[in-house]
Amino acid sequence: MTVKVRFFARFRELLGTDIPAETETGSTLLSLVRGIAEKKKEGYNAIFDDHGNFHEFVIVMRNGKRVEHEDAAAVRVSDGDEIAVFPPVAGG
Amino acid sequence: MIRVQTEDVDIGALITAAKEPGTGAVVVFDGIVRDDDITEMELEAYADVAVAEMEKIAKEAIGQFRLLHVDIIHRIGRLAVGENILIIVVSAGHRPEAYAGSRYIIEEIKKSVPIWKKELTRHGGRWVPGEHGHGKGKPE
Repeated sequence: MTVKVRFFARFRELLGTDIPAETETGSTLLSLVRGIAEKKKEGYNAIFDDHGNFHEFVIVMRNGKRVEHEDAAAVRVSDGDEIAVFPPVAGG
Repeated sequence: MIRVQTEDVDIGALITAAKEPGTGAVVVFDGIVRDDDITEMELEAYADVAVAEMEKIAKEAIGQFRLLHVDIIHRIGRLAVGENILIIVVSAGHRPEAYAGSRYIIEEIKKSVPIWKKELTRHGGRWVPGEHGHGKGKPE
């Protein structure tokens, strides 16, 4: 199945964006993002801590709805999902 | 009108359109690229979610402050010093509601709307740090 992963701002500069990811049924949101971020060390370190958990300030969304960090290891992605990962917002 | 767009807007036309029947006050907030020793500012948005979030904020503000009209236009792309970034136009029957509603909208946008700013300088660029992540931590 295919899932789209979008990084924004500094994370986009480090990892790219609109990344189509082929993943197995049952993959969790956390494992999916980790798998993509691991390809670039600086990008991975910007998003994850030494234990492989999202840094506290990182915001994660699935299909436009926020996912709490404690749920990311349990939420299973579905075909066609759009996952967004970004730093704290700074508009206005 | 709630939009994320590259183009500037005609604020005068927005003020005219905001004068709904019963209007006694129109408040305009115009956020501008400040000259903090930068060459330009680059703005990026998660556009679909940003518009949906601003629509939600506008609806809340209309309910809480009895606003008669709300426009929010947030620009993206590269902007020069002095250009408009964010225009909020609200109208209400009286000035307390118009001022309070406008203030509510800008503060909520800063908390939750997925838009980012990068200040471009002669030496490169720096992302403007946001204040509101999932938790207490801050990016390095």
